[in-house]
Amino acid sequence: MSFPNPATSVKLVLLGEAAVGKSSLVLRFVSNDFQENKEPTIGAAFLTQKCTIGERTIKYEIWDTAGQERFALLAPMYYRNAQAALVVYDITKPASFIKARHWVKELHEQASKDITIALVGNKFDLVEDDEEDSLRKVSVEEGQNLAEEEGLLFFETSAKTSYNVNEVFIGIGSKIPDSSANQPEAIRENNQGRIDLTSNNASGGSSGSGDCAC
Amino acid sequence: MGKKKQEMAQVYSNSNNEFIFGENGGRGKHLSSFLKNLSLTGSSASKSPSSSTKPDDYQEANSNIYGSLAWGAPKGTGGMPRGVSNSGSIISSSLKRTPTQRSVSLGTPSAHRSPTREEYTKTPGSSSRRRSQSNSRYADLDDDWDAGLDEVSVVPKQPENRNFPMLDSLYPDLTLPSASSSTSNLESPKKESMDFEDYQAKLEINKLNQLNSKYSKFRKVLTTDSSINLQDLRKLAWNGIPPELRALTWQILLGYLPTNKSRQRSTLKRKRQEYMEGIEAVANIDFEDDAPSNTSSTSIGTNREKQLYHQINIDVKRTHPTIKLYSFPEVQLSLRKILYLWAVRHPASGYVQGINDLCTPFFQIFLGHYLWQLQRKASIQKQGNEAEEDLFIQGLMDDTDTAEQALLQDPRLGDYTIDTFNPKLISSRVLSLIEADTYWCLSRLLENITDNYIHEQPGILRQVGDLKNLISRIDIELLNHFDHEGIEFIQFAFRWMNCLLMREVSINLITRMWDTYLSETPLGFNNFHVYVCAAFLVKFSSELKHMDFQEILLFLQNPPTQSWTEKDVELMLSEAFIWQSLYKNASAHLRN
Ligand SMILES: Nc1nc2c(ncn2[C@@H]2O[C@H](COP(=O)(O)OP(=O)(O)OP(=O)(O)O)[C@@H](O)[C@H]2O)c(=O)[nH]1
Ligand SMILES: [Mg+2]
Repeated sequence: MSFPNPATSVKLVLLGEAAVGKSSLVLRFVSNDFQENKEPTIGAAFLTQKCTIGERTIKYEIWDTAGQERFALLAPMYYRNAQAALVVYDITKPASFIKARHWVKELHEQASKDITIALVGNKFDLVEDDEEDSLRKVSVEEGQNLAEEEGLLFFETSAKTSYNVNEVFIGIGSKIPDSSANQPEAIRENNQGRIDLTSNNASGGSSGSGDCAC
Repeated sequence: MGKKKQEMAQVYSNSNNEFIFGENGGRGKHLSSFLKNLSLTGSSASKSPSSSTKPDDYQEANSNIYGSLAWGAPKGTGGMPRGVSNSGSIISSSLKRTPTQRSVSLGTPSAHRSPTREEYTKTPGSSSRRRSQSNSRYADLDDDWDAGLDEVSVVPKQPENRNFPMLDSLYPDLTLPSASSSTSNLESPKKESMDFEDYQAKLEINKLNQLNSKYSKFRKVLTTDSSINLQDLRKLAWNGIPPELRALTWQILLGYLPTNKSRQRSTLKRKRQEYMEGIEAVANIDFEDDAPSNTSSTSIGTNREKQLYHQINIDVKRTHPTIKLYSFPEVQLSLRKILYLWAVRHPASGYVQGINDLCTPFFQIFLGHYLWQLQRKASIQKQGNEAEEDLFIQGLMDDTDTAEQALLQDPRLGDYTIDTFNPKLISSRVLSLIEADTYWCLSRLLENITDNYIHEQPGILRQVGDLKNLISRIDIELLNHFDHEGIEFIQFAFRWMNCLLMREVSINLITRMWDTYLSETPLGFNNFHVYVCAAFLVKFSSELKHMDFQEILLFLQNPPTQSWTEKDVELMLSEAFIWQSLYKNASAHLRN
């Protein structure tokens, strides 16, 4: 064990409606920080972060896209070669869940066939102490069902309290096959993610956040 | 009245958001075809048979221009190196130079020698013979700051008569050492020949004198005649507007305030009234509600309206999170109204993130102007100073306004600035006047860049393409490096265009940049901005060339502008101006 494994690079893209907390999730993951009023993202922001999962070190190259509809045309540029995607919604905003459905559909149609997708319901802190669940507008089951139908990982998170945030990235990392993510240089140059036909994301068993103990 | 009708007729009707510009979003190209073009333009720029000029020629011309500027500036200034990638090095080397030294070697690897006087008089001719199409443009440079103005003569003048008003204000600042110089020591002579402190004191005095005379120059243009000479005002404002006069000058430059002073009061009254009516007309939105849910059943608006208001609301909360002024509910309320009204009246674009940023310079400058009026008034009351009411934007003061009377008695009034002031202290009457002025000025600004915010944002895509083109002429090595690293311009420059560099440069410097943008004809928010972006990028060229893909993106997302001062911005603006003069015709030619 004296030789650490070289980091494998994973290109990851975040998609989801404006203000659901995409940038906040990334900020939590990358800097373990939270800002109450974060400026809206324009276009997309690029960040990197390393993450060690067991023996493996994964280096995430993250594109955090802007959520507003007007910018949606830029999204394909960012998910085209991505190996992983987080589709984020706000569990207190039903419209953001509808938008999440659309993104999942678009990814399945347009993105690389072996892309690993996680569905993330954010702002869990808002409903945590909320006895009657009056703020919660998207139930856990709705999220889980969508994830199961579409073969996605599923998490509910809070960028504010950091609940489940690292787990998302660990979960994604564990699902990324080693082979597709070992040559950072090659990946950047390789624009043909779609040629790989090993479609393995239709099989179930990928929902739930139980396997993220760390 | 006709105009009012027309504008009101644009009022949002629940139809497709894009109707004004047709089904396909009007002139916009599809992104995919744009991206294709984008990757082609870089190479076609230099290969195009219709462009007889190789990038090297441009670069040579560039260095000539820099040399000419240096020569024309008062004695002692050195030339700016081509591509000015390291302002620190110019500055410190010029400090050590004696006035008689004309020919200076700059320490950057690509440095060109500043041409001597003799060389200078020769080079413009020879280079313009090679590039006949930009001949007149080039000659204009010597003439005036505002080469874009039609009435400016293109007849070259005698060198002795040439002056560079653009550098009048730049010159003294250029000689200040920059803190962020990394290579300045490499080329600086070891011995200090000048007493530095003396020198700085001199600069300070110089600067004060200059501010004073600047103020009186503006004053003269703004108050002497019954009709303000726009040409003169532009010429002055290009080099920066004194803070006290910024609000008034901006409103005139934007054409919001008429140059004919007898018409100003009535115009303001009408426009402000029109704004209030517009706000009243969107009765189904409760602007006081800052926590709307886009599904709440209590509000009566349509889904589309609710969605729009929701988007604006969440963005207003996230506008300038680090500036205290924007955290006050009163200010957020104003911004919500302004943005919402603009969006419903311009359905082809609607509200686009980034527009929230664009309204803030107006808002805070106008608010600051009201504060200034109060401060002036209080100081006449106390000391009988000159009121300067002829420099006031009219209709803001009202003796019956109790909040205003309280402020005039406030002993701390003189100390209030935009950064320390609590907007709760002013009446909602004044706030809505400032809102109205902000609304109209924002509208004027956005008129110049409507293509930036409509479906598919074709304006931004074009600007990003233009920027790449420009870099291919100015700094082909940087472009090659980006290509090699797989950097796409759109990855970093999209935001530069969408928010006019407001995310990259602090708001105080942005207001300085807008002085110049507003003095350009046509206004600089569209094409001139691309040249500014080029100057901005090239500023970091030497650093960027040593970075890889990730480092470049991370750097450009968070460029080191925190320590920037007005002179950094002014240097950037002058470079942009020069490049615009050189490449304006060429780039239009290439595009079509
Ligand atoms: N309570 C709570 N608020 C959150 C959480 N995550 C984000 N927010 C807040 O939600 C707002 C939007 O967050 P952002 O991270 O900017 O959202 P975004 O998805 O990146 O938005 P765009 O960049 O516009 O697409 C901010 O005010 C955050 O502080 C969360 O987990 N809990
Ligand atoms: Mg964001």
